[in-house]
Amino acid sequence: MSRRVRMWILAVGGLGFAALFAAACLRLPGFGGDSHPYGERAVRAALAHRTANVIAAVNFDQRAFDTLGEESILFAAVLGTVVLLRQTREEREVPPEPARVPLLVRRYALVLLPVAIVVGLYVVAHGQLSPGGGFQGGVVLATALHLLYIGADYHALERVRPVGVYEFGDAAGEGAYLVLGLAGFVAGSSFLANSVIGHGTFNTLASGGTVPLLNMAVGMEVACAVVVLLARFLDQAVEIEEEKGT
Amino acid sequence: MNAWLACAALLLVAGLLPVVWGTARGPLGHRAMAQNCGTSVVCLVMLLLAQGYGRPAYTDLALVLAVLGPVGTLVFARLLADELGEAPRWARPATALAVGATALVVIASCVATGPGRAAVKVALVGVLLAAGNVIASRDLSAAHRDGGHG
Amino acid sequence: MTDALVLISLFAVAATATAAVVVRDPARQALVLSVLGLALAVLFTVLQAPDVALSQLAVGSALTPLLILLSVRKVRRRGRREEGER
Repeated sequence: MSRRVRMWILAVGGLGFAALFAAACLRLPGFGGDSHPYGERAVRAALAHRTANVIAAVNFDQRAFDTLGEESILFAAVLGTVVLLRQTREEREVPPEPARVPLLVRRYALVLLPVAIVVGLYVVAHGQLSPGGGFQGGVVLATALHLLYIGADYHALERVRPVGVYEFGDAAGEGAYLVLGLAGFVAGSSFLANSVIGHGTFNTLASGGTVPLLNMAVGMEVACAVVVLLARFLDQAVEIEEEKGT
Repeated sequence: MNAWLACAALLLVAGLLPVVWGTARGPLGHRAMAQNCGTSVVCLVMLLLAQGYGRPAYTDLALVLAVLGPVGTLVFARLLADELGEAPRWARPATALAVGATALVVIASCVATGPGRAAVKVALVGVLLAAGNVIASRDLSAAHRDGGHG
Repeated sequence: MTDALVLISLFAVAATATAAVVVRDPARQALVLSVLGLALAVLFTVLQAPDVALSQLAVGSALTPLLILLSVRKVRRRGRREEGER
């Protein structure tokens, strides 16, 4: 395709988008008005299922199917990265030299590691009550593990991080979400319906029905996925070198 | 008009804008130190916003940032150790200022929330933030002296 | 007051995002990007979207810099090797 044709296609697409976007903007309801039809319905549905954090109710109850899609995107993205960054035949593994880390940083990382893990678990477990949830907590958990790389060196991290286990955890988290969705069928309603277990008492840890369970599945998937992703990046940046003459 | 929100706005103007300026120009070591200050500024803004909006749950934002922010700076110190260069002369005063501001905001928030688990959480955020800021700042300065460490 | 907070945050995001584009070296960009993440988190919070702000903080403060810097290190190492062979 020549440059000129591409520009024409870009212009047509851009003009079409501009026209549609302008038309959509003209029909928007006024900013900051009193009427919030979607918000009111979402809050009512969240309270009916005793979920204090309405955002969690939208993500994991009312639109749980969308979240399944998002979770699968992360799963597929990590899978793709693992395939792309694998050690090829022309590359060899060179053990990195042990790092000299200041004592202060070493101690800080050692003290912060358990604190960060508790914070991560707290964020996952309180997704239905306060801001947070599986994704945010999972990322905190995965970052916490990499304090070992910051506080010591790559060798120390590798000893407590069997990548195979985390790959399994990644898949298990993704599978658990699907199983919880199918449990909705078994309970007699639809896929991912929040009717499998009781909704509990409002504003307690065990409220929201399947919302905390789905949060746990996502938390496990995200934490393991990020660990696997970073393992590939660290391998490539720290250990793997290309053979000479390639 | 809410005094907490006014303080948050003031801190954003007086703190975050210099941080943006500092990270966008100058030698690499100066930029990294400015980024370290940014963590403290935004963490304190989050604490002030939690008070200003009357939503204790927003403290979780400050908690996560107090844990992960210094880790991010240590990542920079670790992987850019060869290029960091000398730490800026304002590193010590800036760190002292950040720790002082942390103490001020945390004590004010604790007094406002009253004794209880919420106050303990705010105090924990303060301790993590102050310790993280000091250690990251010292590591940024030390990374230059030792040369690269792995 | 709330409007002033939103305006200040918007300005900070716009300034940092511009800086992230103007700065050309990837390592320096990673530093600006991490400050951009902080500014975005403040913007999301003042717009009352703490869940999004928490996601931004979790990903932006340590994970993104680590991924970028590891990639930079890998690319530079390969560059050095190729220069050495010439």
